[in-house]
Amino acid sequence: MSADISRRKFLERSALGAASALFPIAMVNVVFGKKKGGEATKSKGTREKSDFTFAYISDAHIQQISGNKFVRNWDQGLKRAVAEANLLVPKPDFVMFGGDLGQLGKKVELDHGAEIMSACKYKTRYVMGEHDYYLDMGAYWEKLFGSHYYSFDHKGVHFVVLNSVLTYDSWNNKWPSAEERMNQMAGLDNPNGTPFMVGEAQRSWLKKDLAKVGRDTPVIVLSHSPIQKIYKGWNFWTEDAEQVQALLKPFSKVNVIYGHVHQIQYNQIGNISFNSVMATSWPWPYPQTYALVKSNLPVLTVPMNRADPFFERDATGWQFIDVNSGKVAATYLLPDNENRTVKYSNKTGRPEDVKYQDKRTAAQEHY
Amino acid sequence: MNRYLFVLCIAAVLIAGIKPEAKFMISEFLEKDSQLGLPPMKIPEDNPITKDKVLLGEKLFMDERFSSTGKVSCSTCHLPEKAFTDSPLKVSEGIDKLKGTRNAPTVINAAFNRSQFWDGRSPDLEDQALHPFLNPVEMGLPNHEPILKIVRSDPGYVNQFKKVFDVSPPQITIRHVVKAIAAFERVIISSNSRFDRWYFRGENVLNDKEKQGFELFTIKGRCVSCHVIEHTTALFTDGKFHNVGVGINNVSDEDVARLSAEFLKTMYNQSDVDLKVLADSKTSELGRFAVTRNVTELGSFKTPTLRNIALTAPYMHDGSQKTLEEVIDHYNRGGASSDKEKINPYLSGGIKPLNLTDEEKAALVAFMKTLTGKNFEKFQK
Amino acid sequence: MSKKITTIFAVMTLAFGFIYADTFTKEDILRWQKEFDAAAKYGRQLWENSAEYKLGTNNVACAQCHPNAANTHPETYPKFQKQLGRVVSLADMVNWCIINPLEGKPLKLDSKEMIALLSYIHSERRGVKLAPGKH
Repeated sequence: MSADISRRKFLERSALGAASALFPIAMVNVVFGKKKGGEATKSKGTREKSDFTFAYISDAHIQQISGNKFVRNWDQGLKRAVAEANLLVPKPDFVMFGGDLGQLGKKVELDHGAEIMSACKYKTRYVMGEHDYYLDMGAYWEKLFGSHYYSFDHKGVHFVVLNSVLTYDSWNNKWPSAEERMNQMAGLDNPNGTPFMVGEAQRSWLKKDLAKVGRDTPVIVLSHSPIQKIYKGWNFWTEDAEQVQALLKPFSKVNVIYGHVHQIQYNQIGNISFNSVMATSWPWPYPQTYALVKSNLPVLTVPMNRADPFFERDATGWQFIDVNSGKVAATYLLPDNENRTVKYSNKTGRPEDVKYQDKRTAAQEHY
Repeated sequence: MNRYLFVLCIAAVLIAGIKPEAKFMISEFLEKDSQLGLPPMKIPEDNPITKDKVLLGEKLFMDERFSSTGKVSCSTCHLPEKAFTDSPLKVSEGIDKLKGTRNAPTVINAAFNRSQFWDGRSPDLEDQALHPFLNPVEMGLPNHEPILKIVRSDPGYVNQFKKVFDVSPPQITIRHVVKAIAAFERVIISSNSRFDRWYFRGENVLNDKEKQGFELFTIKGRCVSCHVIEHTTALFTDGKFHNVGVGINNVSDEDVARLSAEFLKTMYNQSDVDLKVLADSKTSELGRFAVTRNVTELGSFKTPTLRNIALTAPYMHDGSQKTLEEVIDHYNRGGASSDKEKINPYLSGGIKPLNLTDEEKAALVAFMKTLTGKNFEKFQK
Repeated sequence: MSKKITTIFAVMTLAFGFIYADTFTKEDILRWQKEFDAAAKYGRQLWENSAEYKLGTNNVACAQCHPNAANTHPETYPKFQKQLGRVVSLADMVNWCIINPLEGKPLKLDSKEMIALLSYIHSERRGVKLAPGKH
């Protein structure tokens, strides 16, 4: 901090003038369903209305070295996220795990990851990631955590969990062994890779599932892949994104929360707000840093601060999601980096960084 | 005129006009090359350094009357002959030998810190000086009035305040007092160590073991990222806050949960934090989190400088590491003070096991002993 | 006598200059490019399969954090590297990564592996303007 900062500014920056970014929803004066002017929203199928918070931990990539030895760095990241999430005030209603619990989908990795997650005080639900899936097509995952895709309701919000890391059967079937298939999928920049998709089966399931949901009921889709087309080379991509988005179009309040990218991203496409979640393991570079290709990082996104690789937790972390009036505010807790809050703005109709949307800093420049 | 030159000019003036009765010999600190390896000092516009202000500041710094028992001054915990600490005390002792929870950091080179106190709750030297007067385990005053009573009536002070600030007794405020103290602290600098002369001047003053220690410092030991060395200057601190596994490793999960919830639910101001962290050692372990309420800063403390580190034992915010060897072992284990100690989950990402050999550990210690400033070398054993 | 020889020598050089200059053909260029490509290819293998090639000791691969060598910024070296506390070259930083996130032993600067890694890093960043010292 430069000594040119006046004393008053300094005090403002510390907790004494704490930014609202650090205050979870309970401290923010928002009434669910009532916009300015007092109109309440009513819809078919809505139950108890209230604002709430849930925690989101993702992309742990627990990686076995040999036997009972795991990469200490990734273990630390997950342990830390769970420990910090346990301290969250006010308490989160539940915890989501966003996918890629293991690195190569091995039983030992999923078991070790589940063991670390078991220290979490709150009910946890799981989203499938490709690193969990491709060794045995999610068989062991199902034993540990249940269905690959499902929906549930919470305080008037309809949650849909998709397995959005599927791909063409022809690709699945072309490898000589399950391990080889998993290894191929594990390489982010693998030229022999294949795009993620939700697939026809899940899309028809989704259509039926959403048919029971009122048009004004907030919908939150939890997915590993982005349900957008950002950069195909690194599978920041969902092949049938448009078709899934079309199924979500009729709803007035839709949020998609996705993992996989290991960085802060957010976007608005029509009626759908998109928010990525951070990884507890390591950060991926932003696509624009690969100079040889074109990519479509949403222009809206103000990137996280660049990481210092000396600090292993830099640009990793976890987040808590506040749901208010059916829209999402994601607060990212990034150790050794700068915490960020991306909140849906009613004024502009899109998610925005509460501090940096209109003024970026040098540390946010990724080249 | 740039600030660096400015300080040197003041230095020259001060050498010229040293009062023989000044307990603390300022001249030693103003020798040629005394800033080799240090960056230019940032001096606030509203508090320029003058000779008279420094001498006034020194007097205030040493004055034991500014405490409820009349026996504790700033210098009680920041003794000039102990490199401005109270080595070998683990944690400082204020009035009636009441113990706090934290080890007294050195004043030497504190002027280069981006924030003051182990948890950075104070933005500068002027603000920092306000607080120990009021802390019940430090000077124990109810407010600053007893200080003002003395400086407004003691003829020596009256003259000096008039000379320095052009104020009459009723016009003297606590702000004037802390400005003078801060000015004094700004001339307590030290560098031109053997390391500086070797690294920035190419002088052959380091032996092979010490040079090996330097190499370990920048590579295998992983020290340099926080204890910063740059191309033309070396502050040996990044001014940031890190959880290195000291202290908080021994606070139970229940206590962490209870105390963190308390700080998250209540908006304590700076003075509240000052009182709370020195009153209870478990609260003290919250570190920077107690100031920012950012859960990712749990157990984080400010990186101290390593300059003159050989003179400021014991080490860390709680004084728990008695020797430099213990410190190295703590880092070597990846943030644990003993082999059995469980490492807290909020550990800084920069801390990991180092696998240093005994020889390498000894070399690192040898290197750290070369960081004693020329003007303090006489205190080093 | 020597003056005569010098003159003959000069004439011959002018006439048959190609014998003494650094001349090369299109085939040479292609061949030498392939040599580089082979080094870059080896670099890519090390990048992706760091564990197999025992670059580190913890199974972590360079490609995990640097897909397509993104975020390595070869065009900015030499530069002041905070993690090393001084101005260094790209090779020094590669070694830093091998020592720290990969928990391995540093490579010799003139080893096949180091050259391969540098070749791969640069090949994925071709065309980007030099910006030495840029943070």
